[in-house]
Amino acid sequence: MARRVSELLSYLGIVSLCICLLVSLAQIKIFYLKSNVNYINYFNLSLIQFVSCLLSFLILIYIFITSDFNFSLVYQNSHTEKPMIYKLSGSWGNHEGSLLMWILILTIFNFMFALMSKVNIRLTETTVGVQSFLILGFLLFLLFTSNPFSLLSESPNEGLGLNPILQDPFLAIHPPILYLGYVGFSLIFSLAIAGLLLNNIDKNWASIAKKWTLSAWVLLTAGIGLGSYWAYNELGWGGYWFWDPVENASLMPWLAGTALIHCVSILEKRNTLQSWTVLLSILTFALSLIGTFLVRSGILNSVHAFASDPSRGLFILAFLLIVLIASLFIFARKGPFLDKEIKYHLLSRETGILVNNWLFLTVLFIVFLGTVYPIFTDIVLNENITVGPKYYIFSITPIIFLFIFAMIITPFLNWSTNNYKILIQKIYKPTLLSVMLIFSISLYFDKLSITEISLLILSSILIMANLNSNILFKNNSFYLTSNIGRALTHAGFALLIISIIANASYAKEKITQAKVDDKIIVGNYDFIFSSISQEKEKNYHKIIANFEMQQHSGTLKKLSPEIRFYNNPPTITSETSIARMLFRDIYIVMNVPENQEFINVRIHIKPFMNFIWVSILMMMIGGLFSISYRIKNS
Amino acid sequence: MIRKTLFYSPLLIIILLGILFYYSLNSETKSNSPLIGKQIPEFSIERLLNDNDQFSSKDLISSETINFINVWASWCIPCRAEHNVLELLSKIDNVDLYGINHKDTKKNATNFINTLGNPFREIGFDSDGRTSIEWGVFGVPETFIVHRGKIIYKHIGPIHISELEDTIIPIIKDLN
Repeated sequence: MARRVSELLSYLGIVSLCICLLVSLAQIKIFYLKSNVNYINYFNLSLIQFVSCLLSFLILIYIFITSDFNFSLVYQNSHTEKPMIYKLSGSWGNHEGSLLMWILILTIFNFMFALMSKVNIRLTETTVGVQSFLILGFLLFLLFTSNPFSLLSESPNEGLGLNPILQDPFLAIHPPILYLGYVGFSLIFSLAIAGLLLNNIDKNWASIAKKWTLSAWVLLTAGIGLGSYWAYNELGWGGYWFWDPVENASLMPWLAGTALIHCVSILEKRNTLQSWTVLLSILTFALSLIGTFLVRSGILNSVHAFASDPSRGLFILAFLLIVLIASLFIFARKGPFLDKEIKYHLLSRETGILVNNWLFLTVLFIVFLGTVYPIFTDIVLNENITVGPKYYIFSITPIIFLFIFAMIITPFLNWSTNNYKILIQKIYKPTLLSVMLIFSISLYFDKLSITEISLLILSSILIMANLNSNILFKNNSFYLTSNIGRALTHAGFALLIISIIANASYAKEKITQAKVDDKIIVGNYDFIFSSISQEKEKNYHKIIANFEMQQHSGTLKKLSPEIRFYNNPPTITSETSIARMLFRDIYIVMNVPENQEFINVRIHIKPFMNFIWVSILMMMIGGLFSISYRIKNS
Repeated sequence: MIRKTLFYSPLLIIILLGILFYYSLNSETKSNSPLIGKQIPEFSIERLLNDNDQFSSKDLISSETINFINVWASWCIPCRAEHNVLELLSKIDNVDLYGINHKDTKKNATNFINTLGNPFREIGFDSDGRTSIEWGVFGVPETFIVHRGKIIYKHIGPIHISELEDTIIPIIKDLN
């Protein structure tokens, strides 16, 4: 009986994917025929596309929740003893499931776009057509190489489990959010290709594009932030960003996307830079695809290596190349005729944003080189090299100066005129205040270098300038303008830079061995190793070391790092214990006890950690404000 | 004209990148270490459990059996998980398992062996990790199969029991 149900579900899953495939073909046909189909047609089709894909995704979730081991995918990635949330996240924590989720998100964006863009019908149906082409490609990939609904000939009693490192609540939501960001940029890509095909890249195009770019940007920012938060909590290295190639793979579309947001603004206000905007739209999605390829193909050695599978890499590469070569070919043919030239003034806002665009591209190039160059040397010179954090830090820091400088000035310049009077009015107070503030702080804390002090000053000017100018309040009431989004995002970026500097300069670390009743001193804190105990949980057992954190002989907090021994598959992980305080995190991680007496402990004091997360949150909220402002006024 | 040609440059870049990615995809599946098929690197390090003598590449070259060299450390959690598999491996006929103890302290490493058992014929003590670098080790654990002084195979990460059965044992059969 149970077998019958599984067979039925398997058919149902595949059939609904086939429906989605047929509908995508129909969507492509609509835009290809240039027929005068009315709005209802492609809107309804995109609804069916979305619903059929959702149905098969729900089936996937259902078979994971019920631990139906008739399915080979469930057998390989799940286990009955796993807690419910990880059964759920297990459904997209593997290649087949994540691909299906990717397609689902493509159809969601397609549907949302069809729903919300009723103004320019020709542009909308062409965009939906291009997007359906992407959906079609991924569906073919899924159905022919990685069917999530394939059945095993015999049903095993128990599954093989899920990598315990992946059993973390943040990791359950990090990939979906990251995908939402990546795939969000697919819509901008489709929109850009549609605009190219129709020779329709103008102010109106820009105001449609801006909303969607911002949405994708907020989601990608959230995805990267969550990934970083997970790495900080789970990997036990005490760091939040490792310049790991896979992290870079998500940072690169973010950089290109951020440049795109600014560039679309120029197009919207000044009706210029058409071809550059289109190229950036293509580039952003290209980097999302390349990122997916690099992670999935296993070309890169990294903490994310669990996601790899070389045989599937070839298909992703082929698909990536078809999409990008076709789109860049269209760009090469149509691009040169798009641009409308305008006169640039040195001290106008568009010049400032243009400078910012070049800075973004420079950082992007640095990150790209650091990520891809090792692959190049491996192939051409047969030499393995690793690019460490120092490369990134030393090459990016000087650019950050220019960045913040441009960010302070540009918002106070006018479009299309040379006018710097407002600028001086707005920034002289923040400048004076910041210089005094940071100098007095740096007298008190002696460890700061000149570079750090000047970066801190610039960041603080940026925050104050954004808060000071009557952007946030007008006539003593909360005044919602498009500027509040920008002010929050920019101030968030400045806070991020400040936090990173403080975190790097004042972090303390101690690695040592400890016996029960030992006292370890790090900075101003004493850590008493009070006891060690063992506990059994549902799908693992753990050893817990209990520490008391004291300051001036008073106990502040109890910290208990763990070692977990998972049964299925047999794996051992270290769980960090973190005491979060306003200005610093205390972070303890331990290693498997060598014998009954000793354990290895590592204690980190990480200042300003909370501010890093808050600043990322500020940037996202800023983005949300901008989106809501645009939706309200359109 | 120049401006129009310039618009083709992104296309060119992506094609070049495509070629690079294609080759890297293929090379990855061919071999995972440039040392495979080559003579083992020369080394000579002190023994972990015996102070008198050195453990050196000569021991491996002169050996007629199939040699496994496992790079491990007491601080490495996956090594601990792998230990049972190593015990099984060391009991296979015509196989000698050697260990290189990587960036460790003598005390911890000896403790590790005393607690979990010693499947190794010899253990080299590589406290500064220099010998491991010669072997091209990225991280611990890594295992090399060496026959008559030549590197046949390299395994990155802990050897799982299924990998022992599916990959390692067929290689041993081939060599025999």
